[in-house]
Amino acid sequence: MDQTQEENMSPDKLRIMVLDDEPIVCKRLKPALEKLGYEVDTFTQSPEAMHQIQQTSYDIIITDLKMKEIDGMQFLTEAKKRHPGTEVIVITGFATMETAKQSFQKGVFDFIAKPFKLSEIQEVVNRAAAKIRGPAA
Amino acid sequence: MWQYLKDFWNKIKRPKPHLVAFPEIFEHFQELLEDHQQVMELIADLGEKSGGEYIFDRKYLIDTTNEIQNLILHMVKGVNLISSNRYLELYSTIDRIFIPLEAELRGRLTLSRELPYVVALQEATPDQPELIGGKANVLSIITQDLSLPVPPGFVITTRAWRSFLEHNNLEERIHGWLEAWAAGETDESHTARQIQYSILAGVVPHEVAGEIRRQAEKTEAFWAVRSSAYGEDGELTFAGLHESFLNVPPKGLLKAFKNVLASLYSPESLVYRQKMGMMGEEAAMAVLVQEMVESKVSGVVHTLEVSGSEPDCLVIYASWGLGRTVVEGRSPVDRYVVERDYPHHLRRREIAQKESMTRSVAGGGEEEVKVSPEEQGLSTLTEDTILTLVRWALSLERYFKRPQEIEWALDAGDRCWLLQSRGLQVPRAAAPPRQDICETCALYPVLIRDTGTVAHAGVGSGVVCLVQSDEGMNRFPEGAVLVTKYTAPWLARIVPKAAAIVAERGSAAGHLATIAREFRVPTLVGVEGATEILEEGMKVTVDTKQRLIYAGRVKELLQYELVQAMAFEDAPEFRLLRRLLARIAPLHLIDPQTPDFVPEGCITAHDVIRFIHEKAVQELMDLPRFVKRFKGVQIWTLVSDMPLGLKVLDLGGGIIPTAEGSKLYPEQLLSLPMKALWSGLSEPGVWSTEPVPVDFKGMMSSLTKTRTETPGTTATGFNLAVLSETYLNLHLRLGYHFNLVDARMESDSHRNHIYFRFVGGVTDLTRRSRRAQLLAKILSQYHFKVDTKGDLVVAKVLHLPQEDMQELLKILGRLIGFTRQLDIQLRRDEDIPEFVDAFFQQMMERLDGPDPGGKYESG
Repeated sequence: MDQTQEENMSPDKLRIMVLDDEPIVCKRLKPALEKLGYEVDTFTQSPEAMHQIQQTSYDIIITDLKMKEIDGMQFLTEAKKRHPGTEVIVITGFATMETAKQSFQKGVFDFIAKPFKLSEIQEVVNRAAAKIRGPAA
Repeated sequence: MWQYLKDFWNKIKRPKPHLVAFPEIFEHFQELLEDHQQVMELIADLGEKSGGEYIFDRKYLIDTTNEIQNLILHMVKGVNLISSNRYLELYSTIDRIFIPLEAELRGRLTLSRELPYVVALQEATPDQPELIGGKANVLSIITQDLSLPVPPGFVITTRAWRSFLEHNNLEERIHGWLEAWAAGETDESHTARQIQYSILAGVVPHEVAGEIRRQAEKTEAFWAVRSSAYGEDGELTFAGLHESFLNVPPKGLLKAFKNVLASLYSPESLVYRQKMGMMGEEAAMAVLVQEMVESKVSGVVHTLEVSGSEPDCLVIYASWGLGRTVVEGRSPVDRYVVERDYPHHLRRREIAQKESMTRSVAGGGEEEVKVSPEEQGLSTLTEDTILTLVRWALSLERYFKRPQEIEWALDAGDRCWLLQSRGLQVPRAAAPPRQDICETCALYPVLIRDTGTVAHAGVGSGVVCLVQSDEGMNRFPEGAVLVTKYTAPWLARIVPKAAAIVAERGSAAGHLATIAREFRVPTLVGVEGATEILEEGMKVTVDTKQRLIYAGRVKELLQYELVQAMAFEDAPEFRLLRRLLARIAPLHLIDPQTPDFVPEGCITAHDVIRFIHEKAVQELMDLPRFVKRFKGVQIWTLVSDMPLGLKVLDLGGGIIPTAEGSKLYPEQLLSLPMKALWSGLSEPGVWSTEPVPVDFKGMMSSLTKTRTETPGTTATGFNLAVLSETYLNLHLRLGYHFNLVDARMESDSHRNHIYFRFVGGVTDLTRRSRRAQLLAKILSQYHFKVDTKGDLVVAKVLHLPQEDMQELLKILGRLIGFTRQLDIQLRRDEDIPEFVDAFFQQMMERLDGPDPGGKYESG
């Protein structure tokens, strides 16, 4: 939590995208992460999110795997291709967790099984942020 | 006796073929206990998820509900295997409980045939705005959950509205008119006139009219009839768009009902609905009918000063007579500006020249009249009334998590009533700039960081009040922050008053956590050292979402929370979860001796689980069957100084393998829970053999009593312990009362439990109940979750590590000995504390006795 305070000193906030087709996940995560000092955009439609990452880059992307239209795997592959520096956190149902871990070992910062605690994801996001800011932070 | 019975049964050559052998029965019984454990864990899990710390989706709710259903189905199968299919009707009980649950999970509640046309406000199922509309839903919460005064009445549901449409063939026609309007063929006033006319000309279906009459006949009151549309007072306010009718005589109710329905299609409502994208078919109107409050004064409270100039204040508007004057802004009204912080100092009083007022007309209706010159300039409210309104308003805001706009009335007897509460529309100016929240909070000193477990997510601020005992509770001020070492059930009473709760111990699945969630109080448990860091009288802000406790009042954070788009509690997933929980978690079946302890009496999934458990235990202990089953099974007789007549059945690992013959000595026991219990029961002095002095009444009572009067015992009873290395099921009848202990203690604490049930006694019911109270008091101090009903005590703990289980079983052993004959001694209610003290005194004398002060969390 201490590094959060230091992050606050920095003029530009880290940008986070949350993509999950269950609106409740977006609704809950946005304020929880904003309070930690991040700038948060949320999407419930994967094509819209896909469109968005063509325009702009995010420091951290939090995405579900199972979604209608474009699924999480496709989405995060594309996101990583566009911006290799983006850290991706995958949230997925408990049942699909193991398969998820196997197929995405590379390139994914961490996995979180649903349902999860707010404090759990906040902690993972803070770790990802520390990695992005490098040892200096 | 035992041998005799055994011989007797051995003489009868063949047991009936359908009788299942004991080892098999016990296997089913063990499986039942395992299912029981698992399903209770799932239910606790669901409860925990309603606290807001977890992010879950609909799929989780569907999966968990299915799992619960599967486990219960398995239990039904199990109990039927044990009892030779005696409880087959449980299958239809499960359908009765789970079919509506599936309907809930499939999506919006369908207005099925089972739903009522009319329901009393006091009895309406919470969180069903689809059925009773937004306004009535809020009022049912205010009266049922928050216990604040709301004029009694009933709701004519959206199902009645549907039925009205069908009966008059209106659905298609309304649809047609609305389409014509949407296509620009007609204007809204023409459309509104067509629809409203056809509604007013419609006939209220016979069944609906009958139900309304039945409710209205309960009193001789006149009625206030108001709209309660679905969506109204929720995210959309519809403020003032739908009609209200005051002072309606009983015979005018049907007409008023139709008038309110018609107002759903006023030109203004049509335009509003179109603008909000909720057209035609979705419109569902419930109508709220409440007893008329003949108000002397009425008005509105805003829990936030909307101009934003005094963000630390709330504002009360008041005027003489009925509420229209204030709500419709007909003439100047009094304005009271009061500080939100305790002790709610009245900052300003602006008394208006109130020239006119609305009042009821005898025989029905209302009229506007002049206020007498001497009353025009008088203050409408006393300081007492102001304080009452402020306290209620803040407690509504705490519960609904948003600034509230509250309509209230003061009757001729100076009693206050709440008429309505809805989210206050806060203009942008009053809302703080959002992006600064992280920086702003960082400016406040943090007292406690990243400690504890979230039981309910939220932010609350107030003065610290340390509560360590019953006495401490009485001085707990409204809106304070409760700080406590324990999470004992007796704290429940002050939970609704607390702005936040911080407990040093406890878990998110515990009793206190459950109650905190029910009242939506932000709560952190397991915050070590909290009672030392947070001092009495200190002002703090508790943000359980971030697990931070700040010194002082973090105004910006409190405001940030209040102006969030939606409190998580109001998200559809959370509302769905609460509706599911209402059908799953509460326990209504407590006493197996009551006539409603039958499958038809089961209302929730928990009731079914309880029923099955009880019946399984009963089956196991049914003596004639038992004896048949035990043909060829080794039964031990426990030999000790205590005349227990205890038979022991070892399922494996419960006694030393070298035991021989039919006699067993306590030192040969290996079963961990049995050893622990025995160590308490056999302690010197616990099993007092000296005769208890019996007073005349007690003696007469015990002389005239016959065994069959004692509930929970079989006529030819015996005592039985079924053991394994880590399991104990003990049935112990001592004199005329009956103890049941079911305990498991393994290295994995999640599998552990103690279930203790106590019933009966030798004296009259009053004295027996006293003993039940005594037991409940002692057990809950050791953080058992205790339910009592008459002379029945049911106590449970779950998920404790082996060492703690051992300690508690030892205490239980002592307690069983200690209370053996206590009902005779408990002559007056006042004796109870004395004996509670005596027990703890005894504990203290044995130096190893643990402090009853709350090491354990009840399950």
